[in-house]
Amino acid sequence: MTTPTKTDARSGLTVTALTKVLSNRTIVENFELDVAAGELVALLGPSGCGKTTTLRMMAGFLQPDTGSVSIGGIDVTDKGPDKRPSAMVFQNYALWPHLTVFKNVAFPLSIKRVPRAEITERVMAALETVNLAHHAHSRPAHISGGEQQRAALARAIVQRPDLLLLDEPLSNLDAKLRVKVREEIRDIQQRLGITTVMVTHDQDEAMAISDRVAVMNAGRIEQVSTPTELYANPRTLFVASFIGSMNVLPAPTLFESASLSHVPNAAPDAAADTSSSGTSTDDPPAEAWAVRPEDVLFEPGSGARRAGATPVEVRRVLPHGHFSELVLNAGGAEVRSVAGGVPPAVGDHGTVTLNNVRHYVDGVLVDGRARTARVLAGVKA
Amino acid sequence: MTDIRSGRRAPVGARRRVSPEARRSGIGLAMALPPVVLLALFVGVPVVLAIGFSLGHTGGLNSTIASIGLNTREATSWWGTAQAYVDVFTDPRFTRDLGVTIGVTVVSTLIVLALALGIALNLRLRGGRLASVFAGLAVVPLFIPVVIASWAILTFYSGDGFVRTVFALVGLTGPTWGYTTVAVVIGSVWTSLPFATLMAISGVQSIPDAMIEAAKDAGASSFSIVTRILVPLSAIPLVIAATFTAIGVLGSFTVPYFTGPNAPSMLGVDISKYFQAFNHPQQAIVMAVVVFVLASGIAFFYVWANFRSAKKEGRV
Repeated sequence: MTTPTKTDARSGLTVTALTKVLSNRTIVENFELDVAAGELVALLGPSGCGKTTTLRMMAGFLQPDTGSVSIGGIDVTDKGPDKRPSAMVFQNYALWPHLTVFKNVAFPLSIKRVPRAEITERVMAALETVNLAHHAHSRPAHISGGEQQRAALARAIVQRPDLLLLDEPLSNLDAKLRVKVREEIRDIQQRLGITTVMVTHDQDEAMAISDRVAVMNAGRIEQVSTPTELYANPRTLFVASFIGSMNVLPAPTLFESASLSHVPNAAPDAAADTSSSGTSTDDPPAEAWAVRPEDVLFEPGSGARRAGATPVEVRRVLPHGHFSELVLNAGGAEVRSVAGGVPPAVGDHGTVTLNNVRHYVDGVLVDGRARTARVLAGVKA
Repeated sequence: MTDIRSGRRAPVGARRRVSPEARRSGIGLAMALPPVVLLALFVGVPVVLAIGFSLGHTGGLNSTIASIGLNTREATSWWGTAQAYVDVFTDPRFTRDLGVTIGVTVVSTLIVLALALGIALNLRLRGGRLASVFAGLAVVPLFIPVVIASWAILTFYSGDGFVRTVFALVGLTGPTWGYTTVAVVIGSVWTSLPFATLMAISGVQSIPDAMIEAAKDAGASSFSIVTRILVPLSAIPLVIAATFTAIGVLGSFTVPYFTGPNAPSMLGVDISKYFQAFNHPQQAIVMAVVVFVLASGIAFFYVWANFRSAKKEGRV
């Protein structure tokens, strides 16, 4: 049996200046993305951010108003889905209930009038790739959700596409199965070396299996980076709050004790200004400061105060198994921190110091952790 | 009263206690009973009597009709006689009309299915105002009484009708379809189209977009999408439309009576003639039994298709 492999060095995807307006609403605006051959890129964003519309334009189900889509260096913007070298896995799998799994997978090949013997060989190879050969003659209604998902994947890879498009492929599976199937998808994608774009609203899913993640918000790309880079250096306040957990503070007051350690007893009354910390970023504030919970270092006990530490009280403790999330009150401001081992109790007192504080102006990063102190000093001045 | 005051349970109440399930199924049975009894009394009994009469059982409740009717065959054995059936099947008029009835039924059903499916597919795949207008127009015959429609069809295609008049105006000779089997087919299509269209539309519209898009993504042309995805997936509504149309046309009377020729005519008209004009009620009932058997065959196909589809999709 041959495996359905095709690794064409040129079969990447280039999307330029894609824009789509539907009923007077701009759904996708000036979308630019380059996906290298064999790469898996996730389009990640909240619902309604235009990620599925973008994917449908890549597949050819929607015509963009402006911009172009090239697959393997060939412009396919004006071609319909039947004429593009791409294959899509739909959110609800879209398996045809009147056909067996085998016939579902064989359908694209029989449409292309591939000889019968070759169809059998390629379909069985694809089913073996997704570990579903034993269900070849079952009907979709008789197999589980995870198996239906794999059958849909087999129907896509049997075509040996230059581009594989996955539309929320795991959203109909339960949590445990989702983790298993996403690893299977990644494994198959890497083995076959298929250039892949996956739409998801689940950041864990995107971070876990993608080479790069494109975070979308309101029809635009906010940032395209590797998962590690995205987490470590979120370039916009939206990305900062969307990826992982983040403390967003509207004023630098809580940080003053951390960053401006040369100022003793930083104005305690100003702490009250941070009461609206962690507000939504739908409309980014003119200025905001963000810090990850793991960079909020909690030290129990109110005894000898460290230089630059702010006194806090533990408000809530949320156990997560191997660590606990702490909600701390710093003179009216609320910040989240994490604690390993035995967590403090609600009502305990302690101090926090902040590391890696990022400064955002109009939602855009102006300063990373390195220059935080200097910028804050400037703001203060 | 003393029992209630003393707090003891009344022995009568204890004996009458019925489980909630039994009570519910009892209520359900009682609610289903009236229509079942009604059907058994007013349809079941007459059907049994009529079949008995066709086999020559002329006594009892059949005695009146047996004494009025001409050419009545009497039972010669315990189960009766097949002589009335022999009368009918050896009559060349009957076999010819049976052929015409089956022919009109098959042709009308095919045309109705093609039109209904065309309207439904146009609405599903192309959409737009015109497709909606077609779908709306197809339902109009539902609101026009068959008698009136039959007369309209007759005058429209008659020798001095609209079609021939228009043809004559441009110097051509148009077809005369009034009082022909063609007019019967046209009338049957007219009366059956609304229901078939509604069924086809509901069947085709219920197929999720993703199923069509998945086929497009796999490279299927519109023709392949229709023949390999849409039609198989709406098979059950189409089978319902086909069987209901076929049974309706098979047993139709008004359309063939008004628009068709005297000969050959459809069995519905023949039954009426044999019963009233010729006063041969036994032969009329034999023909009715034949129509009933044909309709049962269509009904069996309907049940079989439903079962097969349910089995395929894992519902049974």
